[in-house]
Amino acid sequence: MAFESGQIRTLVTRLAAIVGGLVLLSLLPGFVDAYTLRIATGALMWAGLACAWNIVGGYAGYISFGHSAFFGIGAYTTAILMQSGIGAPFFVTLIPAIAVAVVVAVIIGGPTMRLRGAYFAIATWAFAEMLMQLVTVVDFTGGTAGLSLPAYLNEFFFYYTMLAATAASFLGVWYLIEHTRFGFRLKALRDHEPAAEAMGIRTNLVKVQSFALSAAITALFGSVYAYWTTFIDPHSVMGPEITDQMVVMALLGGLGTIWGPALGGVLLWVVNRYIWATFGDTVIYLPILGLIIALVVLFLPNGLISLLKGGSERGHELISRIIRKL
Amino acid sequence: MDLFLQTIINGVLIGGILICLTIGFQLTFGVLHVIDFAVGGWAMLGGYTAYWLVTLAGMDPFISIFPVFMLFALIGRGLGPLIYHVRTSRYARPDLMALAFTFGLFLLMRGGALWLWSYNTRSVESVFSGEFLSIGAVTIPLLRLSAFIMAALISLGLFILLYRSRFGMAVRALAQNREHAGLMGVDVKRVSSWVYGIYTGITASAGVLIATIYSVNPSVGVRYTLFAFFVAVLAGLGSVGGVLVAGLALGLLEAFVSTYIGARYSLLIVFGVLFLTLLVAPKGVLGRGI
Amino acid sequence: MSSGTNQSHSSQPSPLVLESVAKHFGGITAVADVSLEVTTGEVVGVIGPNGSGKSTLFSLAAGGQKPDNGKVWLNGKDVTGLATWKIARAGISRTFQIPSLFDNMSVRENLLAAAVEGDWKGAPQRASDIMEMLEISHVVDNLASELSGGQQKLLEFGRVCMRDPKVILLDEVTAGVHPNIRRIILDAIRRLRDTGITFLIIEHDMEMVREICDRLIVMDQGRVVAEGSFEDIANDVEVQRAYLGRRK
Repeated sequence: MAFESGQIRTLVTRLAAIVGGLVLLSLLPGFVDAYTLRIATGALMWAGLACAWNIVGGYAGYISFGHSAFFGIGAYTTAILMQSGIGAPFFVTLIPAIAVAVVVAVIIGGPTMRLRGAYFAIATWAFAEMLMQLVTVVDFTGGTAGLSLPAYLNEFFFYYTMLAATAASFLGVWYLIEHTRFGFRLKALRDHEPAAEAMGIRTNLVKVQSFALSAAITALFGSVYAYWTTFIDPHSVMGPEITDQMVVMALLGGLGTIWGPALGGVLLWVVNRYIWATFGDTVIYLPILGLIIALVVLFLPNGLISLLKGGSERGHELISRIIRKL
Repeated sequence: MDLFLQTIINGVLIGGILICLTIGFQLTFGVLHVIDFAVGGWAMLGGYTAYWLVTLAGMDPFISIFPVFMLFALIGRGLGPLIYHVRTSRYARPDLMALAFTFGLFLLMRGGALWLWSYNTRSVESVFSGEFLSIGAVTIPLLRLSAFIMAALISLGLFILLYRSRFGMAVRALAQNREHAGLMGVDVKRVSSWVYGIYTGITASAGVLIATIYSVNPSVGVRYTLFAFFVAVLAGLGSVGGVLVAGLALGLLEAFVSTYIGARYSLLIVFGVLFLTLLVAPKGVLGRGI
Repeated sequence: MSSGTNQSHSSQPSPLVLESVAKHFGGITAVADVSLEVTTGEVVGVIGPNGSGKSTLFSLAAGGQKPDNGKVWLNGKDVTGLATWKIARAGISRTFQIPSLFDNMSVRENLLAAAVEGDWKGAPQRASDIMEMLEISHVVDNLASELSGGQQKLLEFGRVCMRDPKVILLDEVTAGVHPNIRRIILDAIRRLRDTGITFLIIEHDMEMVREICDRLIVMDQGRVVAEGSFEDIANDVEVQRAYLGRRK
């Protein structure tokens, strides 16, 4: 792709910011205690999950209420393969975990994405709940009792693994959406589906591809999470709370923006941990999430990022006005 | 054979209540074009309210339906304008924004109930509880029969309102064609808000009835939302008449699965059938959906 | 009065052939029985009163709607009933009456998006050329939603050109635009026509029709009621009836 000088400057600035951010994040463990590190690990995970959900919800424009299914698929695949009978090493389990999620996404994505928005939401919700019920009644998943994974109590390992997964997700999504044909197809589909079709874009294929990508990333985090918490059960990895949070985080941050979900994810996770620290449990977190969605829909449908964008424009204007006066 | 008959009766009785649960939801969809994710939440809150009225005021739940209906109708009427505003504003996807909004409401309800009243299951006792009617080999719990009759009365009341009153005509006109109804002098926003209020009132009342049979705790909302979605989709979203058949169908499905396969499979099967129905016949079995 | 439905006998197949296509919506017949055939590099005007089925005809040709009857051939290939994206890839592009731009993308991105299924490598250069031809280079980074009405029409037209199609359908592309913009579009049509692209244009602007069209097709109530040059049509009784109504 040919670049022009203005574009190159923006690109370089962005890359510099990203590299700088990564460097800072990599150095973090040296400066904080284990407790804070765990919070940071969680924040990274939720940022990544919100990013994954945003691919389907914000870019393709399909509100999915069933992503917990993929998180659970990742978690359970890793957990099952790491049981003493099979004993696969952690990193090896990532491949089947992602593969299963992608296969499921392709199978149900095709037919479900032919449905209109609200029907799609209900269908994905029904699918996720159905899967959770299935996992509860079947034996090899441990049923309601859940599964335990081999304990590996190394916070550094999990922090860096989560950091790698989140960085890979965001950078991957950023590259795909801004610099590949797929990104153009996706954005065209979101903006005006009939026009996109009239341009020869196979919209149904693009929808399924985005769904599969989103599922793959979600499953990846599910796998890491399972190993990190060493114990999973149907409700903890397939329950509606997972989807609930992904949706609110993406919405709060800004649907259809690259970095909005990161903002929403980190912010809400910090709120969650604060509540836990203050009240001893997170029961009040759920109604707060509900309240946040309602307020965001009413007053800030484009998310926090839109505030920042507007803010930075106003900031630039202010600065140039000042400079002109000098 | 006796078991079979008993199961059918159980199914029909529950089906009646499910009809009452879903009928308001369908109306809301038809008039406001909103899928209210919080439908189960309204039912749950209705159940809780009945519990407190029973416990604190010694009211029989069947009597409590009246204050519950009025309370929630008012609450719904108050929320109506908000919902209407979200649904008709200039977002990119107002239908999905409205869905997200009601989803948020549902979270608020679930989480709020959990926070206020914790996990404990509360049972709602009625004067009919524990009484039975025996007809031949079948036993009909008086409670379920009374609940069925109450549900039928409430549903009938809604039909009378819709088809025999001026207000009802305005509602039906709105459901058919919002623009034209507005042009003919129907105050779209007000009528829509009242529709939402009627819906929340009826749904909360259905929640009272369900609570007498199954008791109530913060997580039942998900179940009731599922049931409402199931009945609504099967009937065809927005089709109030189709609910009569679909409600009975779900009641029977639930009864048969519980009796012959096992209660722990019932949610799985119901979710599964809902999912498949959406793939195969999203406009309902008779294709009447919007 | 429909034209013959023979396939072209020359070595080059006709870019677009419609054979007895029809489309009904419930009880309404939008297109009753229309056949037409165009030759390479022709600019054919499709005119007629509102509701005569012109836009529906375009949809049938470009794939937005499937014909209930009849067949559609694009460059000799039978594309009847194929998915819209397949027909689009077979070499046809259209504009829509209501602008169908990608609102959240810039002008450049809109143009690039149009080339996503074609020549991707050469797309940036082509985009520059097209922006220059249409005189919209100065708004290259503006969002499509920020453009004026006339600029939006130009962008819509530009997108259609990006795809390098053999047949372009323009649906009232100059409706309500400044004469300057009309001139730009007319020049562009001529330039593209000279490279062998065939145009079908729906228009109400008779001046434009007279200036650019090689021949006209007049539609009324879903049928073709007249065909021929501008002069033929202007004097045709059927056409007058279609526009002015029948004398009772």
